[in-house]
Amino acid sequence: MDLALLSLVLCIVGALLALSLNGSVRVVVTGIVGIAACLGALAAALRVLIDGNSVSFHSTLLLPLSGIDLTLDPLGALFVAVTSIVGIASCLYYIGYARDESGSRLSLSMFMLFLLSLLLVPMASSVMTWMFAWEIMALSSMLLITTEHRHSQAARRAALWYGVMTQLGAGSILLGFLIMTLPAHAQTFTLLEQHAGGLTSLERSAAFIFSLIGFASKAGAVPLHVWLPKAHPEAPSPISALMSGSMVALGIYGIIRVGLTLLGGGSLWWWLVVTSLGVASALFGALHATTSTDIKRLLAYSTIDVMGLVLLGVGAAGAMAATHHHEVAHLAMVASLLLIVAHSGFKGCLFLAAGAIERSTGTRNLDQLGGLLSRMRVTAIVFVVATLSVMAVPLFSGFSSEWLLFEGLLGGFISHNSATSIAMLVSVTALALTGGLTAIAFVKAFGIAFLGQPRSSNAEHARDASPTMGVAMFFLCIPSIVLGLAPGSVIPLLNRASDVGLRLHVASPLRPGAGLDLLSSRGSIEPLLILAVGVIASLGLWGLLRLVARGGVRRAAAWSSGRDVLTPRMQYTATSFAEPLQRVFVDVLRPDNDLDVTHESESRYYEQHLAFLNRVDDTIENSIYQPVIKLVRRAGTAALRLQNGSIHRYLALGFIALLVVLVVLT
Amino acid sequence: MNSSSYIAALEISGGAVLVFALLTLWRRDVKANVRMLRLQGVSLACVAGVLALHQHDLGLAVTAVLVLSVKGFVAPELLHRVVRRDPRSRETAPLVNVPASLVTAAALIVISYAVSTKIIALAPSPPTRLVPIGVATILVGYFMLVTRRRAVSQIIGLLLVDNGIALVTFLLTAGVPLIVELGASLDVLLVVVVLQVLLANMRERLGTTDLDQLRELRD
Amino acid sequence: MILAATSLVYSIGTSLLQLVLLTLGAPVLLGVMDKLRARAEGRRGASVLQPLRDIRKLMSKQRLRAHFSSAVLPVAPIVLLVATVVAIAIAPLASTQPLLAPSADIYVIVYLLLTGSIALALAGLDAGTAFGGMGSSRAMTISALAEPALLVAVLALSIQAGTSNVPTIISRTLANPTMLSSPTRLLALVAILIVVIAETGRIPVDNPSTHLELTMIHEAMILEYSGADLGLVSIASAMRLGLLFALVANLFVPWGIATDTSIGGLAMGVVWLAVKTSVIGVGVSFMEVHRAKLRLFRVPELLAGGFVLSILAVVTGLVTR
Repeated sequence: MDLALLSLVLCIVGALLALSLNGSVRVVVTGIVGIAACLGALAAALRVLIDGNSVSFHSTLLLPLSGIDLTLDPLGALFVAVTSIVGIASCLYYIGYARDESGSRLSLSMFMLFLLSLLLVPMASSVMTWMFAWEIMALSSMLLITTEHRHSQAARRAALWYGVMTQLGAGSILLGFLIMTLPAHAQTFTLLEQHAGGLTSLERSAAFIFSLIGFASKAGAVPLHVWLPKAHPEAPSPISALMSGSMVALGIYGIIRVGLTLLGGGSLWWWLVVTSLGVASALFGALHATTSTDIKRLLAYSTIDVMGLVLLGVGAAGAMAATHHHEVAHLAMVASLLLIVAHSGFKGCLFLAAGAIERSTGTRNLDQLGGLLSRMRVTAIVFVVATLSVMAVPLFSGFSSEWLLFEGLLGGFISHNSATSIAMLVSVTALALTGGLTAIAFVKAFGIAFLGQPRSSNAEHARDASPTMGVAMFFLCIPSIVLGLAPGSVIPLLNRASDVGLRLHVASPLRPGAGLDLLSSRGSIEPLLILAVGVIASLGLWGLLRLVARGGVRRAAAWSSGRDVLTPRMQYTATSFAEPLQRVFVDVLRPDNDLDVTHESESRYYEQHLAFLNRVDDTIENSIYQPVIKLVRRAGTAALRLQNGSIHRYLALGFIALLVVLVVLT
Repeated sequence: MNSSSYIAALEISGGAVLVFALLTLWRRDVKANVRMLRLQGVSLACVAGVLALHQHDLGLAVTAVLVLSVKGFVAPELLHRVVRRDPRSRETAPLVNVPASLVTAAALIVISYAVSTKIIALAPSPPTRLVPIGVATILVGYFMLVTRRRAVSQIIGLLLVDNGIALVTFLLTAGVPLIVELGASLDVLLVVVVLQVLLANMRERLGTTDLDQLRELRD
Repeated sequence: MILAATSLVYSIGTSLLQLVLLTLGAPVLLGVMDKLRARAEGRRGASVLQPLRDIRKLMSKQRLRAHFSSAVLPVAPIVLLVATVVAIAIAPLASTQPLLAPSADIYVIVYLLLTGSIALALAGLDAGTAFGGMGSSRAMTISALAEPALLVAVLALSIQAGTSNVPTIISRTLANPTMLSSPTRLLALVAILIVVIAETGRIPVDNPSTHLELTMIHEAMILEYSGADLGLVSIASAMRLGLLFALVANLFVPWGIATDTSIGGLAMGVVWLAVKTSVIGVGVSFMEVHRAKLRLFRVPELLAGGFVLSILAVVTGLVTR
């Protein structure tokens, strides 16, 4: 625990240093302190994960009334480890990335506070500590989103959306916790768990649903996701990486901690609700990722998609635990945790790479990019690795985790309950469709940004990321490769976390080893051996080509249908790449197409100017949120009538309110 | 007939009834749809036949022959004539596009599985296990009835519903009294004949069988 | 120890045999299919060895690379070919015990093939031409839409056999042949066949012999390839088609595949594999003669049909278990 506490203290020190130091030293020193804090936290978390023993800390000094309760158990430690890995990369990256606003005192100190809160939430073991950490997380990240507020209207709007959604979510979580504290009259998690049996089933369900609303909103689950595709793109990239790799995962952590650990699993329908949230998020996220042209927005939607898949796994784990199929529950939980770890690696990496692109070209719009492969080599390599991982190409982390998830869902058919069978079937369908859609989205992202000719002069003069940024990005590639080639190496750690999460002590569902080998012998994969076969095949192929292929290589013009030149504008763009798919899903996406034709004055048969605009808005935002916003605005306008500037009137209102309160209370 | 081949024959012929319902949803060509309907009638007769063979039930065997003749031959033949006479209604114009209809059909299949598990649990036996397939046929037929514009397609939808109901009754009761089945089959024939006449009249008076245009009659 | 060594040698032998068989056999299968089609259309058609000769010729020609293309263009065919080779090496085609049989998960094979498609799609975007982009975009769309039908059908098979490992599915089917006559298997077969036709770019989804850029899918994507690069792409595409046909054949007519480690069994396995795969090839080319290519936007209808059938396969599997 000492190490964990030290790292928390270091975060605070970092925040103070950020406020007090001047000049370029500020960024470097803060970054280094942040890295040290993350390293400490990582060491503490790994120790807990390897030993399997929890450590706790209690102090009455730090928070008034309740004091602060921290416990690092394997489940929390896993999330601490995830945060610290992404945190190390983000801090390092920040050193090379920070400029005017992002290097300011406020931004840097908020960055450190954000890191602190991300480490604190999984350690919190009482309601007060949890809500305290949760609120720091909300406020610091909201301020970080507004970093660029001077230049960008979008950043201001995003922060507003985020602030409202996150506060509503926090309120909902608090409500859930309050219901849980009813029988215990205590607020530490140990006591809550012991007294959970004292809740009526209605109270339990209410507590779960309220906290689920808050956590699902944090995890970006559809339809509570609206803040995410706005906030992730506007935040500075290292912050986006932390938000997507770590903060969003804490939503899932909350669902596991409250639903499975504190409330002890509950009824089957809870988990069917979680599964349906997962299906909706996975499909909606993947579909919007394919049609997005803003690269960070694309990544944000892909985060919604992956979190949806994680929810599928958590839903399956809960459903299987509720129907007493403990081994399958364990398998599904391990699969979800593996997916979370894998996701934090590849998505963090992708956000950092997107930041490098934005820094160097000044745009996030894929339709303005192109040809970056030869101009930003380091970024390109990193982007390829992370992209292969997110597309679930075998030998990368996305594949091993999605395969395990598939096996978990397949195992779910062991239950003859028709509701769970249908949930599993729908989950597999969602997993399959998202797999294909993600492939489109990321072939598009890589192909349009890095291949072909540059589509704008900014892209043409792009420069590669600075060395610190490059190192940070490479660091985050490691999980993609390690978890891809030897996923079995982390399984024992995930098992311990899953044991705590499910409050079950069953044997690991997998045999020990570098690959994944199910005990139930339903399936196994050995990526290292597949790699070996692949390497041998490539070597053989290379030798064969040397022998057979003669004739050499010559550079020539690409086929241009007989025209003289191929201009960059003739290439496929991100919009056109996704057009066939957009057409297939036109009923779901409802794209906004605008064709503006200006004719020559002499004749209507000649066009002077053609403008085509294709925009895909968030359907859920338009159909659910906008009416609510309109309603609130109307209510606000109505309430304005009370405010006529007369001080007497305000005082009278206050007086009436006081009277009402007195009457009601007595 | 031994039990494993009985089960296999029952499952395959029962499954075929639903597959042909899905194929009518899939194909736009009305002529092909009529063909599918015919094949569905034949599969339905097979289900009855297999059950009759297994239970040595003469009444059921007669029903099977009846189903084969009415649903496999007479009704589709009548429909075929309607289609041949009206070249304009050759393509169905669905209100919901085909991929969306098919995905809906997938959802309907899952729903019918969900709602039938309780029925199956009452008396689990090879025929009752197939009830979801019958229910799904009914739902798919109903969906077709709702979303197709041409009158002929709607008749086809209606007949799908009817075949689905027949399948469910075969599977659940294993032996509808002959007279009931006779009555039901005659009803179906009557419906087809009446609609055929109606369609002919519609075409003469209005020059179309697009039901959306009937709305104008109200105004 | 000796037993383990023998079985390892046997596995390696099987994998190499499968590889050689498909490298040489798959282009011939394509040749046979072309020949049949030509005959059915009243032409004489080229020799069945023509695809092999084409590939040999391409191998010795100069490779042209477009001006703006990057390393992706030459690397993609290698990735495609290696992914296909690995899939062929571990898939149970002639015997149920090839190399890495425990890892021959159906999910692994599906994703290895998807990896190849991704590599080609990126290559299509590499030269920065409109046609390449068009081909990649269309090919990826079709792959993505085929995925649910494929994986749900695979799920139906896995639930039925209680495993997602292909060799085990095949050996369990051999042990219990009533699995084959169940509607689950038949419906899954139809769904998988639809997907295989879409993935291998045959009529009615794509026309392999078209030469009009606007209607091409696969051919548009590989428009910039020439010489040995094009040879690699062609051989990989042929092998992929052979692998998919062979897998479908083994999943639905498993008889003939070698299950023990005898040389005779393996030889019989090879013969049966050739026969079964050719039957499917003949069936597909027969259908190609009688069907027209679908419009691109009708393809989703076909794939949605495959998807419904696969859902139905799972549901019938659930109700009848």
